[in-house]
Amino acid sequence: MMSEYLLEMRGITKDFSGVKALDGIDLRVRPGECVGLCGENGAGKSTMMKVLSAVYPYGTWGGTILWEGRELRCASIRESEDVGIVIIHQELMLIPQLSVAENIFLGREPRALGGLIDFDRMIIEASKLLAGLRMGHINVAMPVSNYAGGEQQLIEIAKALSKNARLLILDEPTSSLTKSETAILLRLVQDLKARGTACVYISHKLEEIEEIADTVTVIRDGRYIGDAPMRDMTTGDIIRMMVGRDMSNLFPREEHPIGEVVFEAIGITCLDPENRERRRVDNVSFSLRKGEILGVAGLVGAGRTEMVSALFGAYRGPHSGEVRLDGKRISVRTPQEAVRQGLCMVPEDRKAHGIVPGLGVGYNITLSVLGDFTTAGLIDENREFSVIGEAIRRLRIKTASPVLPISNLSGGNQQKAVISKMLEPRPRVLILDEPTRGVDVGAKYEIYRLMFALVRDGMSIIMVSSELPEVMGISDRVLVIGEGELRGDFINDDTLTQERILTAAITPTRRAA
Amino acid sequence: MTETTSIAPGPDAIAAAQGERRRTLKLEHFKGAFARYKILALVVAIAIIWALFTELTQGDFLTARNLSNLLRQMAINGMVASGMVFVIISGEIDLSVGSLLGLTGGLAAIFDVTYHLPLFVNIPLVMLLGALVGAFNGYWVAFLRVPSFIVTLAGFLAFRGVVLGLTGGVTIAPVSSALIAVSQSYLPDVAGYALGVLVFAALAVSALRSRTKRAEYGLPVPPLGVDLGKLAVAAVVIAGFFAILDAYRGVPLPVLIVLVLLGLFTVMARRTVFGRRIYAVGGNLEATRLSGVNVQVVKLLVFMLMGAMAALAGIATTARLAAGSPSAGTGQELDAIAACIIGGTSMRGGAGTVFGALIGALIIATLDNGMSMLGVDTFWQMIVKGLILLLAVWLDVATSTRR
Repeated sequence: MMSEYLLEMRGITKDFSGVKALDGIDLRVRPGECVGLCGENGAGKSTMMKVLSAVYPYGTWGGTILWEGRELRCASIRESEDVGIVIIHQELMLIPQLSVAENIFLGREPRALGGLIDFDRMIIEASKLLAGLRMGHINVAMPVSNYAGGEQQLIEIAKALSKNARLLILDEPTSSLTKSETAILLRLVQDLKARGTACVYISHKLEEIEEIADTVTVIRDGRYIGDAPMRDMTTGDIIRMMVGRDMSNLFPREEHPIGEVVFEAIGITCLDPENRERRRVDNVSFSLRKGEILGVAGLVGAGRTEMVSALFGAYRGPHSGEVRLDGKRISVRTPQEAVRQGLCMVPEDRKAHGIVPGLGVGYNITLSVLGDFTTAGLIDENREFSVIGEAIRRLRIKTASPVLPISNLSGGNQQKAVISKMLEPRPRVLILDEPTRGVDVGAKYEIYRLMFALVRDGMSIIMVSSELPEVMGISDRVLVIGEGELRGDFINDDTLTQERILTAAITPTRRAA
Repeated sequence: MTETTSIAPGPDAIAAAQGERRRTLKLEHFKGAFARYKILALVVAIAIIWALFTELTQGDFLTARNLSNLLRQMAINGMVASGMVFVIISGEIDLSVGSLLGLTGGLAAIFDVTYHLPLFVNIPLVMLLGALVGAFNGYWVAFLRVPSFIVTLAGFLAFRGVVLGLTGGVTIAPVSSALIAVSQSYLPDVAGYALGVLVFAALAVSALRSRTKRAEYGLPVPPLGVDLGKLAVAAVVIAGFFAILDAYRGVPLPVLIVLVLLGLFTVMARRTVFGRRIYAVGGNLEATRLSGVNVQVVKLLVFMLMGAMAALAGIATTARLAAGSPSAGTGQELDAIAACIIGGTSMRGGAGTVFGALIGALIIATLDNGMSMLGVDTFWQMIVKGLILLLAVWLDVATSTRR
């Protein structure tokens, strides 16, 4: 009996040491259909796809997977690929030094007589494959590193298709792509649909889902919420299903008093450590008032992260400039000095710079203030844990226990833990570099609420963000950085528009001024 | 597991599938349990090896005299390993400790034989010198950013050169009886039993404290029976330990030193800021630095501690040989690293315990002692030790739960 569906997942459950990550989730995909899978971070989307692609082999989860009406029991990724299920991960899995063709045929290289790789055939096949996907402009003999992130993503998809994929899983494929690259990718998915390849498309960007998906399946907290044809839904409907409440106001802006200038940065300049001729940050000066939220906008690579790292004493490379707190010059040569003087920073890359994965959530939170809990050289864990408990409650960090390794938490909860770590030293000025990157809608909202609570208590915040709606929804003032220069300093009132910020970001300042 | 798809919905197929799933789950559970109770598994491994040697030697292995010797043999490696474990947890390695052991042991002998320094000056002085050499290593690693493998490989060569130069390549003897006593004296039985009671009391108090604390913070508290059972096992082990040692001459001083180090360093690892930071540095150096921790100082201190422990082991070696031998400690760094790894310390840093490292040292000492008693050739002993190390790490890799 042939089923209407290509893939049917029924009542999937999966738990990690007693914590239910998936609790009875259904997912159905028809041949040639694109299903948008939506849910907040931590809802279980990635876990669900790991079950499907047998990253978690059969037997480690509950429920049934039917493939063309037959039960599927894959013990390894290899087996699921043989059936035609191919996953494209959030992070690119290409080897930058190898050529495009070598990457596409990695592990399945065509062989000539004697077992040597038949490069001619490999290159011809790869070119044919890319040409068929309207990617003929890519030179398959060039190393992958010659191509930008967006094209690499397309190459990754081509690689998947060369394995005769019948169901393609795209997990946040556009998170590092530009607008035009995204458009090419979406067009490619449309082409694939026309050719009968089904796909599951996971994205936080609902406008992409709206454009590409035929059906939408929504999950929340590991539970199945529902599915519906996209034409019957609006993005508002999807958000409501994802968060379980009406998110009419994404930015909970609150009035708060703004006081005198507390912090000044004067002539911040950072040189590129590899190429000292190049100025990553070029003579940027600004001031910050008590209780003020200062948004720092700009295009990716404009030098915003370098600038705030320099303020925090964490920039690896030659840099100069002056930092003043309450009108007095302070020395911030290391993060240690910065923290001691009331300056804290939550870094951009949570995984590499934010968390210590093996340590418990609690131990991560108290990392920078451990000395406060010692009596006679020993840490008083009673006092430490009461502070940890307080922080977990205040930021509503969802964790089974404070001793659970932080790596077991979802992205949003990890971020909340990293923020609370940098709140423990009670800073006067808090720098948040992309505080809501990879964080779900609910946690975002809570982080914004927290920021307003902090400035009401007199803290000042510098927030670097690449999302203009966020910058405009939260900030009192907006700095615009472009190519290392300060290109705009705007009061965030009704006259400020996204267009004005973007125009400032790409317009070079005149030296004379 | 062999076929990809099965044409299912027959009742047999479903039953088979369920059975298969249950078996996989069981295996997963077993793996999880093994990873969680790794130390327990190691203790069981020791019991099996001991039983084997006892059988093969017709009981000679399991005599009070031999076990006392075994522990004394383990003591020097135990001292080095309890410093090494922190080096590895912090994400570094120290290959120079064998040579440093030789150097400090030689210095202790020279101070004793040539300058007649009293013990209470000699020991602190040599340990201080060891710590300074460790600081030298640490400075190159932490502040000048040369990989620790290279820095300590250089030390491995250079320190041995220094000791050969200082001693002229000859053994320095005879050392004073006071220095010999460091290795050869025993704690009399009364003191031994008192120590046993103390250790047990400390364990009991900490177990009860952790129960009340867990309850207070809403963490799951294991049933009282489990904790009491654990304490009962601990009581038997401790009583057995001291009874056996007392049946021979009492607790050997080097073994006592290792026990004191175990206690001190366990508290240091868990309850001090420095200890906590070692784990953080090894877990994610950059995140720790950006949290306002001076990570360079943490690394420097870890290498200083290592140096001091190498010096302590050097003194103990000189005392044991009753002479300063320029070749003392050759290959010791590898034994210490092996002990840490067998005892569950992660080479990637961020995880490990002193207790585990000492259990590892005990396993190595057991193999040395048992095989020597059986008259196994040295080359076989080396082969067996190599295989055991490989096996231990493979077990660890194979049973760590995939994420």
